[in-house]
Amino acid sequence: MRSTVSFILDGKIIDLEFKNSEEFSSTSTVLNYLRSLHTHKGVKEGCAEGDCGACTVVLAEFVDNKISYRAVDSCLIFLPMIHGKQLITVENLKSPEGELHPVQQSMVDLYSSQCGFCTPGIIMAMFALYKNYSKPTREQIDDALTGNLCRCTGYRPIVEASTKSCVHNCTDHFTDDEPQIIELLKSISKESIHIQTDNQKYFRPASLGEAISLKHQHPEAIIINGATDIALHVTKNHELLKEIIDLSGVEELKAITKTDSSIKIGAGVSLNDILLPIEKDFPALHEMLKVFGSHQIRNLATLGGNLGSASPIGDTLPVLMAYDANVVLESLNGRRVIPFNDYIIGYRKTVRKPDELITSIIVQKLTNGSIVKSYKVSKRKYLDISTVSAGFKIDLNGINVKSIILAYGGMAERTKRALTVEQFLIGKRWERKTVEQAMTLIEKDFTPISDARGSAEFRIKAAQNLLMKFWLETKK
Amino acid sequence: MKTENQIPHDSAVGHVTGEAIYIDDIPVNDQLLIGKVVYSRYAHAKIKSFDLSEAKKVHGVHAVLCYKDIPGYNQMGPVIKDEPVLAENEVTFIGQAMFLIAAETEEKCREAEMLIKIDYEPLDAILTIEKATEKNNLLGPPREMKRGDADSVLKSSKHVIGGELRTGAQEHWYLETQACLSVPGEGKEINVFSSSQHPSETQALVAEVLGIKKHEVVVEVKRMGGGFGGKETQANHVACWSALLCYATKRPVKIRLVRDDDMIMTGKRHRYLTKYEAGFDDDGLINAVKLEFNSDGGAATDLSFAIMERTMLHADNSYYIPNMSVKALVWKTNLPSNTAFRGFGGPQGMAAIETIIDKIARYLKKDPAEIRNKNFYGLNDRNVTHYGQTVEHNRLHLIYDQIIKSSEYEKRCKEVDDFNIKNEFFKKGIALTPVKFGISFTTTFLNQAGALVNVYTDGTILVNHGGTEMGQGLNTKMQQIAAAEFGVSVDRVKVNATNTSKVPNTSATAASSGSDMNGMAVKNAIDTIKERISNELAQIWTQQQSNNPTIQQSILFKDNLILDSDHPERKISFSDAMHQMNLRQVSLSAAGFYKTPTVGWDKIKGQGKPFFYYSFGMAVSEAMIDVLTGQHTLLRTDLLQDVGDSINPGIDMGQVEGGFIQGVGWCTTEEIKWDSKGNLMTHSPDTYKIPTVQDIPKDFRVKLLEGAPNPVGTIRRSKAIGEPPFMLALSVWLAIKDAISAVGNHKIEPEFSLPATNETILLSIEKLKEKIKR
Ligand SMILES: Cc1cc2nc3c(=O)[nH]c(=O)nc-3n(C[C@H](O)[C@H](O)[C@H](O)COP(=O)(O)OP(=O)(O)OC[C@H]3O[C@@H](n4cnc5c(N)ncnc54)[C@H](O)[C@@H]3O)c2cc1C
Ligand code: FES
Ligand code: FES
Repeated sequence: MRSTVSFILDGKIIDLEFKNSEEFSSTSTVLNYLRSLHTHKGVKEGCAEGDCGACTVVLAEFVDNKISYRAVDSCLIFLPMIHGKQLITVENLKSPEGELHPVQQSMVDLYSSQCGFCTPGIIMAMFALYKNYSKPTREQIDDALTGNLCRCTGYRPIVEASTKSCVHNCTDHFTDDEPQIIELLKSISKESIHIQTDNQKYFRPASLGEAISLKHQHPEAIIINGATDIALHVTKNHELLKEIIDLSGVEELKAITKTDSSIKIGAGVSLNDILLPIEKDFPALHEMLKVFGSHQIRNLATLGGNLGSASPIGDTLPVLMAYDANVVLESLNGRRVIPFNDYIIGYRKTVRKPDELITSIIVQKLTNGSIVKSYKVSKRKYLDISTVSAGFKIDLNGINVKSIILAYGGMAERTKRALTVEQFLIGKRWERKTVEQAMTLIEKDFTPISDARGSAEFRIKAAQNLLMKFWLETKK
Repeated sequence: MKTENQIPHDSAVGHVTGEAIYIDDIPVNDQLLIGKVVYSRYAHAKIKSFDLSEAKKVHGVHAVLCYKDIPGYNQMGPVIKDEPVLAENEVTFIGQAMFLIAAETEEKCREAEMLIKIDYEPLDAILTIEKATEKNNLLGPPREMKRGDADSVLKSSKHVIGGELRTGAQEHWYLETQACLSVPGEGKEINVFSSSQHPSETQALVAEVLGIKKHEVVVEVKRMGGGFGGKETQANHVACWSALLCYATKRPVKIRLVRDDDMIMTGKRHRYLTKYEAGFDDDGLINAVKLEFNSDGGAATDLSFAIMERTMLHADNSYYIPNMSVKALVWKTNLPSNTAFRGFGGPQGMAAIETIIDKIARYLKKDPAEIRNKNFYGLNDRNVTHYGQTVEHNRLHLIYDQIIKSSEYEKRCKEVDDFNIKNEFFKKGIALTPVKFGISFTTTFLNQAGALVNVYTDGTILVNHGGTEMGQGLNTKMQQIAAAEFGVSVDRVKVNATNTSKVPNTSATAASSGSDMNGMAVKNAIDTIKERISNELAQIWTQQQSNNPTIQQSILFKDNLILDSDHPERKISFSDAMHQMNLRQVSLSAAGFYKTPTVGWDKIKGQGKPFFYYSFGMAVSEAMIDVLTGQHTLLRTDLLQDVGDSINPGIDMGQVEGGFIQGVGWCTTEEIKWDSKGNLMTHSPDTYKIPTVQDIPKDFRVKLLEGAPNPVGTIRRSKAIGEPPFMLALSVWLAIKDAISAVGNHKIEPEFSLPATNETILLSIEKLKEKIKR
């Protein structure tokens, strides 16, 4: 057990002690830490809430015998979360000889910066792209850049710079340095971290067992995984989080296990790591994750967090409800497997007990030709929160509806099924006329609110129309 | 090899390495204090009492100020003095500054803020144009511009359409929020590092507020992390606040608004409610238009009247309208004072006339592009605007012919129709819109600029000018101009931070005029220096061979040399020459000045020549909508923009594309909403949605009009480019409308407003469907 957070910055190991530090607490963000250093002012704050990408940095980690490079929003990361990693900022990109990195050079050559304030973040998003793809597709480039807002350029020259620079088989001076970096990374102990100061306790357990017993001892502690929800309490509301259990160091929660009939996704797997394994068998979940947040957000965010927040606009919830997934909860008292339908019971309320952790989500493969689809209606297609979202499942018996699940987000105080509509449809012919009748019943199930994202009237219309969309995509 | 006009942005390397410095990055000593603004939580209220005593006691807090602590004048309005620096007895919008705190850390500031006690008495608030109208709450007198007799022509016109159009507010969303660092000097002196488009005004206001003289205030602007008009007047506010705290504490004070505060406190693009009527003949030729523009000015005047004037002057966009009546009302509401934003009222004016044309086309069942073409200003006749300026060097027809071909407009219209026949749940639409944008400040005296050029004895050049760099590449163009004028390579020229002690009494960098005016001022300064140098060199060379004199006019500056073109052997390297000049006591520094010729505008009569010239452009956009969700996809945009002879095509392309995409945001996903108490509901990027990389046209074809130097004498025959492309985004807006209209087979006029959010689109479709049923 240790109280020091260690990571690599500028090629050296930095050890941060929080007890003696007045300047930083364990919930200080990496962004604020970097900006306090006169050597890392290139990292910018544009929003402090994960929406603009100006603060993008890359975290390098030694996993599966190689270094992985991931772009993340430094404004959403608490310092202990980067323990054992290499923190790479825009200042590190030039070669030791002072040459610009290929992504930097192409941005200069192609007029890809104007005011330049978004540029350091964009450079880092491009750098991660460069390290992960040789000759990325337009879709991959767009995805890598969605989390970076630029108000000046209109993006075209940035896309072009990405296309032109990411052609070097991912190699650069970081490749040359990897052996030393790996040694340094290995030298940092992965043991658990406990930081206690006068007003704050921060635990970063190294195993699931430890996490469970910590939660038992500190039932009031706030769990974090990616912290993409929780960090906002600090960066936007300036709340003091008194007790935190940070699961980002628990390897057991990062496993994905597939069987012939199901997939079990650890609560701590980042959403980006889920995308590939689910693509074939769970296309509706895959579709939903593709429009979830941004690349940077998905490098941090987890299913455990989405289920933990249980927000009425949590995007994975309706589709998991449609798949009739199971949520696995664990505590010192054992393990419970909760059908998704029973999991959420109110506004951000679930059946999870204070001493329980979400450890995994199990989704069964579909059988007998049943179909699941997911939909997200948002003002902006990418990097936006749903106005209305949906996960629908249908089993047809010939032309008739055998069973149906119509789960909606954004329509009530929680993810909720349109039970009246479901009842109406069961046994009916799956045809346009029936669907049109069913659409009129949506208002019996929901009385949504009007807010910044959309009016109640719009929500109702969209919810009705999604039924039509579903029919169009599943009709025989 | 790169030619001289292909040099990169002069800060590009700084941008990509993170070395470029913005206000929040300036190294300051450990005396630095953080400033915070405490603002009103009520849209309209009396301040019955307040108590700052507890806040002042917080350890680490060095000042808590209220209006009584202002040494000078408690006003920061740029033109009309109706904006207090700190509220006195009344607050008139949520976000209005009331108190200022300076403390050692942000946490201390927040701690102190929580301890401030304020007793408000809430008053009735006006939060909509409708309510302001009902209460007759105008910010100033209405204005009118007229030509002919629109009323009687409308009465006799064969066809008449009319209606109302709403266009929404828009948040600037510069990536760098408003920020300012003030550093105390000796005695009363103060140095203000600001992210301001208008350093001279910042200087003037800081001086007034502190009760000191302008020569005691130095304002410096290195670069802005985006401005777009949002830092034309409202950067002054943060500057005044940080200066006050700096004065009170005698320590450096930095204020950087966090994103939500910036969005809540600062003004936006004006939302408009426009009423219109238009008369036309069977061919769609317009004979009369009547417009009434109502803008939401917010709680104070700011630039609302200048903005409204530009609306009135662009209500014709590119069309000749023989009988025109434009009425304009600026309403006062309990919202932050709305302000300049790229286009400066032009977009709102053009949205109205483009709506009219679009409706005429649907009414007559004709192609809207054809109606537009028919109504364009003529080359030799039908070429005088409603305010009396002749549209000279009209490039509308040239651009129209090119873009109709290059975009394959006709063929694609057919494809869109085919698609729409085959698809019930997805519909496509296509639209062409033009822009004719007048270049100059309509307040004529502002059309002036200054520069100070220094040449050093090593042959390097430092250019100071009155414009500010906000990403638009102004400094790069100045660097190019200076290099070209001196005949040296660009790496010899550096452009300095804008500084009021170097170039005084300048105008804002606005109205797209930065390069035009400052470029000329720089050239003017350089001409002076060159005159001195060539005069001196002519003497030297003539002395050496008096029977064969060098004529001063024959001296050329090129290839890093100065030479006598009549005697090629007489030459000297630029740097050696500068050394020589210094030895021979020739001044190598000169101020330059420029005022735009031949503009003259009679505001009272609404007649004259407000613009030096016009910039033209056109775009064709195609969009697809999902009839079930209202979500749209931008399939393709072809854009052709006239920039004259481009000084730097890479930079100009950036302005065109960037301006266009910003316009797309205004037209589609950027929606500002206030609640019934006057709180901004969309106060963060979580709910306010500017375009991402995924929102640009899938197929984006932008071209600069070739071989078209500016016929009027601008610097290197270029044209202003900052604003015009913004308005071409109306093509996207109308393409979406066209797609909606396809749901009703173009038989029914859809209800439509701006922005076309998914909600606007879906509800418009639903209403269309109901009308079809009936
Ligand atoms: C810019 C931005 C964009 C976003 N876009 C989307 C979007 O498109 N769709 C969407 O649905 N959400 C979105 N979110 C919200 C957020 O990213 C998701 O809810 C995400 O899944 C949270 O995961 P996390 O690991 O970061 O959660 P954390 O912030 O770490 O935790 C979230 C909550 O879950 C609890 N929790 C976490 N793990 C566990 C566990 N193992 N056991 C018990 N409780 C646990 C925490 O205590 C906390 O209450 C966005 C957020 C941001 C900042
Ligand atoms: S500062 Fe905007 S995403 Fe971090
Ligand atoms: S260059 Fe200004 S925001 Fe991207």
